[in-house]
Amino acid sequence: MGWLGKTLLMAGLGLSLWGCGQSASEQQTKLVLTGSSTVAPLANELGKKFEAQNPGVRVDVQTGGSSRGFADASQGLNDLGMVSRDLTDDEKAEFQDWAIAKDGIAIIVHQDNPLTTLSDNEVTAIYLDKTNDWQALGGDTGQITVVNKAEGRSTLELFLKYFDLENGEIQADVVIGDNQQGIKTVAGNPQAIAYVSIGAAEQEIAQGTPIKLLAMDGVEATTENIKNGTFPLSRTLNLVSQGAPNPLAQQFIQFAQSPEAYAVVEAQSFVPLDSQKAKAKDLAPQS
Amino acid sequence: MVKQKWGDRLGTGFIWAIPLTITAIFLWIIGDVFWHGLGQINWQFLFTAPIDAGRSGGIAPILVSTAWILLICMGVSLPLGIGTAVLLVEFSDIKTGFGQLIRRSLDTLAGVPSIVFGLFGNALFVKVFGLGFSILSGGLTLACMVLPLLIRSTEEGLRAVPQSYRLGAASLGISQTKTLWHLILPAAMPGFVAGFVLGIGRAIAETAALIFTSGYVDRMPSSWLDSGRSLSIHIYDLAMNISNGNANAYGTATVLITLLLMINALTSWIGATWTNHHFKF
Repeated sequence: MGWLGKTLLMAGLGLSLWGCGQSASEQQTKLVLTGSSTVAPLANELGKKFEAQNPGVRVDVQTGGSSRGFADASQGLNDLGMVSRDLTDDEKAEFQDWAIAKDGIAIIVHQDNPLTTLSDNEVTAIYLDKTNDWQALGGDTGQITVVNKAEGRSTLELFLKYFDLENGEIQADVVIGDNQQGIKTVAGNPQAIAYVSIGAAEQEIAQGTPIKLLAMDGVEATTENIKNGTFPLSRTLNLVSQGAPNPLAQQFIQFAQSPEAYAVVEAQSFVPLDSQKAKAKDLAPQS
Repeated sequence: MVKQKWGDRLGTGFIWAIPLTITAIFLWIIGDVFWHGLGQINWQFLFTAPIDAGRSGGIAPILVSTAWILLICMGVSLPLGIGTAVLLVEFSDIKTGFGQLIRRSLDTLAGVPSIVFGLFGNALFVKVFGLGFSILSGGLTLACMVLPLLIRSTEEGLRAVPQSYRLGAASLGISQTKTLWHLILPAAMPGFVAGFVLGIGRAIAETAALIFTSGYVDRMPSSWLDSGRSLSIHIYDLAMNISNGNANAYGTATVLITLLLMINALTSWIGATWTNHHFKF
């Protein structure tokens, strides 16, 4: 038997032996969060800070979408679910929720597009393909490339609800998944229009990505306007659980809502909650 | 006559243009990744943990997780894969129903989209076996995905070994096991190496099968039961989910491609050495 054969055999044996000895669990010190891919990087960074303050504690974050956050929470597969939108009334009846940050959604176009604002009616017309040339809106001649989000994304649901549209009616030229894909599509196509997270767009603009945020019915799309509540299209990023969360999860929620977390929230291009509001709410469910 | 010559030239031009185009596309992709990514890479990038969701800091825990996932994947799939291929070629008739059935299943399995493997791995390893989101779950899921590639390629290699080798060995009274180990397997090395390279290439580039099995956690793993993020998932997250994550996404992609090229070179070298070693008389 050659050395390669021996190595393989040893590897196989080692693997099977190794598997036997591993079954002890460390439930007490491990916090599992699953759900929205938008909230995941924020939760992960909050988790690291929380771990640093509580030695021995581990925060594991897994993604898969807001709906998975709910599903796992009701099956007891996570300690807290992550959801990147406000809860519906039905969901509020079943789950407790805690807001940890806010995020605004705005229309972006290419930097070279001369427009600076679009009315709600104009946006609706573009997405229904009733207007399909920029010239009709006062821009340069050119067919509009409509970028829409894929089914199941919270951003899509929010967009449809705000503009009172049905996804079936939308005449999209490009269908995308994540935020960054929307930004990349518009940066590479001067005729394109899309809607993305304002915080993410602001960070990209600061880095020189050739995109531009449009005002919505005259309200500038800035994180400042989300914070003071004047920007109309915004969502809350939430942690959810079915029934009372365990003590460690409660501790994490408190930390995530505390002013200590604000710097992390801002670094992840989201908007921190109003500090007084967050404190007043404490651990009581929002609803 | 003149017309013929022009036709020939045109043909030659075409034949040269095709491989040149393919090579150019390959070099373009590699070049683009290296151009944007090489600047990011230094010791700090390779040996520190990610900071600020991966926008800064390095990829050390992600490299370690990836290595463990690959090791488990290959440690499980290699013995199983070679064993099955040997069974199919040496110990079962090509025309019998059993061998056909296995071959059909493998070909179907090879065409299954990776997200299906991901959901399967999530249901079986993560939930039923209770391994949770872990490097072990991820490695085992990848092993299932890589097996058909490995088996089919090793099988082709074994079939390419001339029948006269087997007959010659049998006429000299050499046992079937010895014939297999000393003659057939070394001769089938090229097919095996091709399968290994294809398999590891698919495994290292995989995101869909891993996001629901080995998971998203970017901490340094302390055991195989910890969740660990792979390089490919890190690239996907940085490029698609993190604003301003592009630079480090390129850096990580450069590391991934370099790793892949190194593994391929090493595999070919080991394959060649082994073949030479066994055929020295």
